[in-house]
Amino acid sequence: MNASRQHQPGAEILRVDGISMRFGGLLAVDAVDFQVQRGSITALIGPNGAGKTTVFNCITGFYRPTGGQISLRRSDGSIASLHRLKDHRIARAGVARTFQNIRLFAGMTVLENLLIAQHVKLQKATGFGIGAMLGFPGYRAAEAEAIDRAVEWLRAINLLDRADDAAGGLPYGAQRRLEIARAMCTMPALLCLDEPAAGLNPRESDDLAKLLVSIRDGTATRSAATSILLIEHDMGIVMRISDHVVVLDHGRKIAEGTPEQIRSDRHVIAAYLGEDEDAA
Amino acid sequence: MTAPAAVPALGITARLRAALVDASKATVVAFGLFFIMVGLRTDVSPTGALFLRTRWLDVALLCAAVFVSRLALALWLGRRKPEVGPAWQAAALSRAGLLFGPALLALALILPFVPGIGRYELDLGILVLTYVMLGWGLNIVVGLAGLLDLGYVAFYAVGAYAYALLAQYFGLSFWICLPLAGILAAFWGVLLGFPVLRLRGDYLAIVTLAFGEIIRIVLLNWVELTGGPNGISGIPRPTFFGLPFSMSGGPQTFAGFFGLEPSPSHRVIFLYYLILALALLTNWVAIRIRRQPIGRAWEALREDEIACRALGINITNTKLTAFALGAMFAGFAGAFFATRQAFISPESFTFIESAIILAIVVLGGLGSQIGIAVAAIVMIGGFELFRDLDEYRMLVFGAAMVVIMVLRPRGLVGSRAPSVLLGEQRRIDARFVGEGRG
Amino acid sequence: MAYALQQLINGISLGMIYGLIAVGYTMVYGIIGMINFAHGDIFMVGAFVALVAILMLMSGDLMHGPAAILLVLVISMGFTALYGWTVERIAYRPLRGSFRLAPLISAIGMSIVLQNFVQVSQGARVKPLEPQLVGGIELMRDGNFVVQLSYMQILIIVSTLTVLTVFTWLVTRTALGRAMRACEQDRKMASLIGINTDRTISLAFVIGAALAAVAGTLYLLRYGIADFFMGFIVGVKAFTAAVLGGIGSLPGAVLGGLLIGLIETFWSAYFSVQYKDVAAFGILVLALVFLPTGLLGRQEVEKV
Repeated sequence: MNASRQHQPGAEILRVDGISMRFGGLLAVDAVDFQVQRGSITALIGPNGAGKTTVFNCITGFYRPTGGQISLRRSDGSIASLHRLKDHRIARAGVARTFQNIRLFAGMTVLENLLIAQHVKLQKATGFGIGAMLGFPGYRAAEAEAIDRAVEWLRAINLLDRADDAAGGLPYGAQRRLEIARAMCTMPALLCLDEPAAGLNPRESDDLAKLLVSIRDGTATRSAATSILLIEHDMGIVMRISDHVVVLDHGRKIAEGTPEQIRSDRHVIAAYLGEDEDAA
Repeated sequence: MTAPAAVPALGITARLRAALVDASKATVVAFGLFFIMVGLRTDVSPTGALFLRTRWLDVALLCAAVFVSRLALALWLGRRKPEVGPAWQAAALSRAGLLFGPALLALALILPFVPGIGRYELDLGILVLTYVMLGWGLNIVVGLAGLLDLGYVAFYAVGAYAYALLAQYFGLSFWICLPLAGILAAFWGVLLGFPVLRLRGDYLAIVTLAFGEIIRIVLLNWVELTGGPNGISGIPRPTFFGLPFSMSGGPQTFAGFFGLEPSPSHRVIFLYYLILALALLTNWVAIRIRRQPIGRAWEALREDEIACRALGINITNTKLTAFALGAMFAGFAGAFFATRQAFISPESFTFIESAIILAIVVLGGLGSQIGIAVAAIVMIGGFELFRDLDEYRMLVFGAAMVVIMVLRPRGLVGSRAPSVLLGEQRRIDARFVGEGRG
Repeated sequence: MAYALQQLINGISLGMIYGLIAVGYTMVYGIIGMINFAHGDIFMVGAFVALVAILMLMSGDLMHGPAAILLVLVISMGFTALYGWTVERIAYRPLRGSFRLAPLISAIGMSIVLQNFVQVSQGARVKPLEPQLVGGIELMRDGNFVVQLSYMQILIIVSTLTVLTVFTWLVTRTALGRAMRACEQDRKMASLIGINTDRTISLAFVIGAALAAVAGTLYLLRYGIADFFMGFIVGVKAFTAAVLGGIGSLPGAVLGGLLIGLIETFWSAYFSVQYKDVAAFGILVLALVFLPTGLLGRQEVEKV
């Protein structure tokens, strides 16, 4: 199963080509390149300060990389150059993300959170806002559909009974799941997760792993299979669910491969244990 | 059983002593505050020179008042039990609100025909409704989108001057000018919104304040166009869809056409219903739009701008529509103000107006339509009620703003009604609701 | 050239007054993150206290020489500081840690209270004060135009520099200053390590009010008028100065004050007096659009 998701030319959904990011005098990311295969879970790991989140922010448009190219190959074969797009355009191009420190709309209900994620689609259905103001049926149908999708995801993350509660009032683990569901409601081609297991207890981590696999396989809801790129510190999860692992250290890629390959890679071990490379 | 009885007795003396000490300290502070500013009054003599007049009695009275009220407050606060949770209060208030809103609307609709309501009361009603409308308009910007705007009055001014100038130079009627005034104000909303898109929080507040002042100063100094400080007078009064309100009683007047006895109160009643209709339009649009994608995007923007960007929401357009829509309603209100007063000058559009409108929105509870209406009635109606206080009136007004904020920082209605529900009606507690950083 | 030099002198002396007020805004903003809207009115109260003090000294025929002016400054600073303390105690402290807009509205309410309190207690009429300090040093002569550094301007510059030196020493070298900077960085942490944050915040208001009182006194002496509404526009401009310099930055506040003073003076001298405030506000808007954190402000990095 895992092997089939390994490098197949032309099957990648995301191509990162030599991106660099410089903050003043600091080169946080130095010519990193990797690919995310369609239908895979790719993990980006590395010690603290390795530049993982910076790479992530470049892909999702919160930073503009100083150099290099990032391209997204959509299912119809068209290619979007993410490094040229503004952040909200990147989301529209099909890249959704979550945040390391959860960013839900705390004062809005769980359901509202999931509807806002479908804003772009719903806004088109309103006819410049006028049709919706007057209650035109076209908009009502679009909204009903959006609610259906939200309900499906609420069922998938087991939060249907809390649909009308404030998102800020949910327990931490539920907030993490909701943020993933919200990202999925944008119907992305690529889902980017920034430390989704941070702060979860072992049981919640386990549920999360299952959820991510079902998102990759398209069995979570009726929505299509979605490729996943994640940053994660919890090696248990990374090794269990990833199809491909990319390791960064000090802004450079030091290794990539299957979890098994990474586990025995001496550069990786050195980076994590802080050993001197010559000594190792 | 004696011991428990003795403890409170001891408690009372201790509390009294603490309260006395506290009140004495407050009195010392009060003396320091009032000694110079009240005790020694600067007066200008007929020759133009300044001299001092002493008023020690007033200082003594003020200090005594501070002592007594501080003592009473300290004793009362010391006695107070921990109060029932605010969630319970909010729930009760929202339940009452379900009946209260329609009742208020019904009263507003029949007000001109309630016995005992005269010209003065109707004029006051018109004033209050103008502020209700402005509050609802500003609520779109501040309450929903979370963008702190301290220069809202600028759009009110744009609307008023737009009508006055269009009527004066082109002879356009009120009904043509009303939408034009709204569109112009919305245009200015976008124009002023553009440069401030990147600004956050207090920077946004101060820049909007600066815009408000710039517009006022331009109105004040562009004498050829606006008449400067003298303003514009003789602005045409509104007609009943072409029929003027005239005392002549001819067939082409309102009274003549409908075969009524000509009366000056017709115009006042008409103006009352006009502003009521405009305010209700604002309310209707605001309520509808909250359930639309754009309205939800505004609220999401208030909660977390970065998350909005990650979801593909175009922040620029979202902010600009909020500015434009909020400004448009201020423009409508401005045109109404101009036709009602028949005279406008920059004096009506000072910063204090923006502050009052913002205070109404915050006191009412950000985002709550009914709370804002009540706040406008209390603030503007209350202000009229204290008419006899003359120069002390603004003093009381400012003090009331401070006191209400200290007692209810979230305003009258702090909880939020969800825009869409799967299950039954419920509200979101204020502590979850964001306040925006923009 | 001579004309421009004179405007430069005028601009600097006006800018110093703005700078003194701006420090109060920026200090409070730095520590508790709110616009103290009533600060402009504290400046106005300072001018009135100084006016009363001057009249008192004049009635005893004591209003002569630098000692009298120093005494007026001290009286004004003392009583105005009490106002600053009271405003914080009544209107802001109960709202600590609450919803962001509540203190703002409360501050606007307090500004209305102070203005109308002074209107009621001191009357609505503009108070004219005859010049207390006349004459100056002739710097250069260009035809008929004389460039003069008046004694009043010397007073403004000397007292502002003195006050700011003391203030800088206070903030950078004393325990109080360290406590203030700690509160600015992280109020919760500061209170955890035993700093009395309430008292530190109160002191910030007291110091800010004392600086505003100096500004009020100098303004009164320089322009010879006081009225209950004078705090608003001066306050807004001083806040503009604080924002321009980068709010939260103390040297930035002084720099911003000088810039606003110079812009206003040069604009009035070369373009139009009516639009001088438009110039000041226009610069503010432009500065913020291109430099959203001001000249010396800390770059705010949004972590995602």
